[in-house]
Parts: sequence; structure tokens; C-alpha cells
Amino acid sequence: MDLFRKLQQVIATTLKVAPDKITRETSDQDLVAWDSLAHVNLMMSLEQSFDLFLEVEDFSRLTSVPAILEYLKGEGRT
Amino acid sequence: MSNRQLDLERLLAFRSRDTLRQALRQAASPILPHIQRLTDHAAGLAPAMRELRLGVVHSYTSELLDPWLGLAGALEGLDVETYHAPYGLNLAEADAKSGLVAHSPDITLMLLRREDLHPDLARPVVGLRPGEQAKLAAQAHDRLLAIVTAFRAQNIGHLVVTILPEQAGPALGVYDPQSERSEAAWWSALKADIGRRLRAGIEASLFLDLDEVLAQIGREAFFDNRLWYSVRFPFAAAAAREVSRRVVGLGAALKFPKAKVIVLDADNTLWGGIIGEDGIDGIALGHEYPGNAYMAFQRRLLDFQQRGFILALCSKNNPADVDQVLNEHPHQILKPEQFASIRVNWEPKTDNLAALAEELNLGLDSFIFVDDSDHECALVRRELPEVEVIQTPARPVEVPFCLDQVSRLELLSLTAEDQKKTEMYAQERIRRQLRQNAERSGSLEAYLASLEMVMTVGIDDPAPLKRLAQLTQKTNQFNLTTRRYDEPHMRRLIDASNWMVGYFSLNDVFGESGIVGLALFDLSEPAVAELDTFLMSCRVIGRKAESAFINVLLKRLAASGVREVLADYLPTPKNALVTSFLPDHGFAVGADGRFRRDLAATPPLPDGAYPIAIEVSAKSPAIEIGALV
Repeated sequence: MDLFRKLQQVIATTLKVAPDKITRETSDQDLVAWDSLAHVNLMMSLEQSFDLFLEVEDFSRLTSVPAILEYLKGEGRT
Repeated sequence: MSNRQLDLERLLAFRSRDTLRQALRQAASPILPHIQRLTDHAAGLAPAMRELRLGVVHSYTSELLDPWLGLAGALEGLDVETYHAPYGLNLAEADAKSGLVAHSPDITLMLLRREDLHPDLARPVVGLRPGEQAKLAAQAHDRLLAIVTAFRAQNIGHLVVTILPEQAGPALGVYDPQSERSEAAWWSALKADIGRRLRAGIEASLFLDLDEVLAQIGREAFFDNRLWYSVRFPFAAAAAREVSRRVVGLGAALKFPKAKVIVLDADNTLWGGIIGEDGIDGIALGHEYPGNAYMAFQRRLLDFQQRGFILALCSKNNPADVDQVLNEHPHQILKPEQFASIRVNWEPKTDNLAALAEELNLGLDSFIFVDDSDHECALVRRELPEVEVIQTPARPVEVPFCLDQVSRLELLSLTAEDQKKTEMYAQERIRRQLRQNAERSGSLEAYLASLEMVMTVGIDDPAPLKRLAQLTQKTNQFNLTTRRYDEPHMRRLIDASNWMVGYFSLNDVFGESGIVGLALFDLSEPAVAELDTFLMSCRVIGRKAESAFINVLLKRLAASGVREVLADYLPTPKNALVTSFLPDHGFAVGADGRFRRDLAATPPLPDGAYPIAIEVSAKSPAIEIGALV
């Protein structure tokens, strides 16, 4: 499964929205469900699903699909 | 990654909640994406989920507990509906018009921090002189009581109070226990005071000690520093999971039929090996592995007895073989007299369980069945779904702890009666034997007289409040109307001048029964008393106690001007026992289906009508734990 599809699934499951609502451009501004608490849950889900360790500083940067994809690629995840 | 995936698929194949709970105990905390799948799976299993309404009052972020609460709930068969009060310790929620009260919670969880009790707790307690430390403790204690009292005054279910442990160890590090100003000592003393105050003065409340959770999972596994400093949520996955499990477990103890008896297998449960094959010298029970693990389990069962659960033994063996171990084995901790019943035979365990239910006068839904055999556990699960089944772990080292996370074995209150349960059942076995002898020789009256029974009746006395509320919640068979009252409601009835609350305890030559009967009369109508509740513990059936009790209460009512008593019998699947109680006691059924007794036409009987001496006190002495010796 390509990286975007995997990320799409993780976000959809964590935020409890339909996967097709998550596009390659989606950011936290686009979804009501992506509020500050859901964002924290998402950070935890990303860590667990992609075997990452996120710093608190990363939390506020990874607020959109493009940002997260870039981060994942930078960490060598495929 | 693929490893986790495999575990999830294995867990999703489980078909019953108790096996799933046991399997998850061994597993690491599930990751967030999996929690939802596990929750949905558990929710879909039989029986249908019941609702648990939870209110959360918090001074730190609590919403992130929701996935864990949902999972813990689904694993118990509870659909958790949670209301999180607005952030911050807001006493405005302790108001009849608040969102919290509107939510009608079964449990209100208070998530507090030390600083909520006193601002000075944000600085080292060890910096204070002993006198100042004492003052700080008193003020913190008073502040907590003020908060708890404000919330307790509202209808918000059982109040569960928690205080977040400190993230850092004591200020003085390893030296703390030896310091005169020890922080740990100060904090322990404050918690003990809080426990005392809640027990004595705040109904339906429990201090849930998070330091206990900390001890269980370890400080480093408890706190998530990143979540704490970014969104003020303190719990790492292990802590969120354990705290949720404990809170939901209290909900299970409240919502499901009360557990009363633990039925134990013998081979590979109380000892290692099979007595019939290995002989008394071959079974593992002693100070070496694996016998020491089984001894530890027997020792742990003594703790459950202290909680008021009775033990029964049910084993497929020759009775002589099991007797030999119980009576002669030097390391056998549980002796025959510690079991309310012992059934050793070759009959199916399901038949034995049904017979036990009848013998002990308890419903099967109050049974916890513990057995190592896959086959026996599966059979009981299939044939007797109301029995909770715990399979003894195959690994001896896990056996001592196998009952530690059974929610229905947790207590929300403890009375003197609870701690004496086993003894009472043992006494009852002797009485039963004597009675059978008496019946055979035709001298039942002589038997009853020989018991030299004395009934102590209390009227409108708040002292045994916990026990009275407990009686309404637990008594299913000898119960005319099966109305359930919690402690706050019972307290209101006792205090109300237009209600009469009567209870009794029965002592005889064998021992004391504790408080075993309750009657509630509504006296709102002039000259009429309506019997709202009449119940009695099955323990004292067959001694005319119920007749003597209702008679003395009717005498009291007649003396205060009541002419007519109104009563109802509301049949349930469990209370067929009392179908003829009202007709047998002078009540006649009317066209409206209600029962009436005219106290002038059928006056109460005089003293001496029953073989029981009766003492009535308007204010009975308080019964405290330890008073029944």
C-alpha cells in the first residue's frame, strides 16, 4: 500500500471520518473532527502506526496531510 | 508491525467477553487504531450491552480517556456514555441545573490534582515545619470535603474521587522515608483521613487511589510527559487503560447482579496436579515451585473472603481424596470450614452449580466459576451463561493473580456483615443439619425453641445505612416488591417523618446474623400505612423471623393510630418464594390486585406468639466493622 493510502486510513480511523474525506491536500482546517484533542490522538496513532517518536514541537507542525507525508518520507517511511 | 496485526486478528476471534478480557490482560496496551476495532467487536458479543452513564469533573484534560473508557466498557458489556464537565474544577457543576446533573450519571469521576486541595501543594511540603504541615493537611482535607460535599448533595450517582499522583518522586529523594518531614508520610496520613471521612460521612463515595495504579504499572509507564506538557493530559497508554478499567469496573460492580460466591475447582486450581492420580504426596502444594504459586492463590482467596465473598468447592474427584488434602495436607490453607459448600462427585459441574444455587439460596448470576479445564469452562459458559467463568491460567506463576481484575469482585462498600459471611454460612450449615433432624423426628417447634432466638429491631435509625441500602440491592428472592435504593435515597427515607424504616437482626445460640431484614412503610395517608418494601435475607428463612418482624411492626403502627395496611406483591422470576406471604399474614387481595389488612379486624398477635424474643430500640447502637466478634 502506498504511503498516502496508509496515512489516509490512519487519519480516517482516528478521526472517525470516511477515508474519502482525506485527500492529499487535507489540513486540520478542513475537517471539524480534526480538533485539538483529535490532533493529539492522531499524533499518538501516527507514532504507533509508523513506528515513530514525535517531539512535542512536531505536534504543532504536523497539522496537514502534506506536512505529515513530508515528515514520513524524511524519516524513511514508505 | 506484522506481529501486532497478528495479535489483533487473534483477539478479534474471541467469542465471549470474559475470554477476551483475560487474553487482553496478558497483551500490551492496544494501539489507538486497534482500540476501536476491539471495542466494536466486544460490543457486538452476547449478551447485549447495558448502559453506564459516566460524569467526569476534572482539573486536567480528560476527553482523551474516551477511547479507553469505551474499550473497558465494551469488554464488560457496558456502553459507556460520558459527560465531561467544562474544564476546571467548577463547583457550578454541583448544581441541580448543571450539565452533570442533567446527564444522570451512574458514576461521577472526579479527576483532581494535589494543587486543587491547596495552592501551597505546588511547593515542597518538606519545606514546612511539622506544625505548618499539620495545618496544611487540615486545610487540604477540609477543602476536599467541601468539594465532595457540594457534589454529593446532587443526584450524580456514585462519587469516585481521585487525586493525580506526583510526576516526580519525593523532594528529598531516597531520604524521604527517614525525614521528620517525610512527604510520603504526610501524604499517606492525608489519604487515610480522606478515606475515614468518606466512609463515615459521605454516602455512595469511593476514594480511588491512583497511587495504587502507579504502584501497579510504574511511574515511567504512568505519565506521558509530551501529552502532559502539550495538552495537560497526564496518562500514558498503560495508565489510561488501567484507570479506565478500574472506573468501568466499578460501573460493572454497580450495574450487574452482585457476585456473592466463588466456586473453585480443586485440581490445578487449589493445587498443582491431580489428587486422584498423583496422590497426596504427588500434588504440588508447598514452598517449592509450582506448589508455592498455588499456596499464594489460596492465600489470596482469604482476601476475597474478607471482602464478603463466600467460597465453594466443586471438584470431579473421589470425596475421600479431596477430604484428605483439605484435612491433612500440611500446606493446605483453605480448610473445610472455609467453604460454604463442598461438592466432590462425578456429576456434571453444571448440575453441581445448579444444586449449589439451591443449597445456598443464591442465584446463579451471583456465581464466579473458577476451573482450569477448557472443557468445563466451555460447558458452563454454554449451559449457564449467567455464571461468570474464569479459567485458571495454565502457567502456575499467573494463578495467584487470576481473580485480581474481576470487576464484580471489587467492593463499593464493606459492612461488618460482609466480613463475617463465611462464618455465617458455616453456622447455617449446622442449623440446617439440626433442623433436618428436628423435621425427621417431628419436633420443629422444639428445634426453634432450642435456638433461643432474639430479634433486635431498629426503627428509623441511620447507623446501618450502608447495609440497608445493600439489602435492597442484593435481595432478590424474599422480596415483595424488589425496589432498589441507593444510600442517599435510603437516607432520605430514614430521615423523613412520613416514612417508617424498620430492620432486624437475629441472634441465636449459634451466632449472630447481622442485619437481615428490612421493611419500609409510607405513612403519608392518615391512618393508612403502605408497605413499600419487605425483604429478608434467605439466610434466616424457616425460623418464622419474617412473621415475628412484620407482627412487631404492625403492632407499632396500630399503636400510633394506623387502621389499614396496604401492600403489593410484585412477582419477578426470582421471588416466587413470597407469593403467599401476604395472604399468610392476614392480608386479603382486593379487586384492584392490591393487598389490605384491617388492623382492627385482624389485630397483630401478642408477644410470645413466635418462638423469638423481640427487642425494639428506636435508636439501635451503631454497628461498626469489627463489632461482630
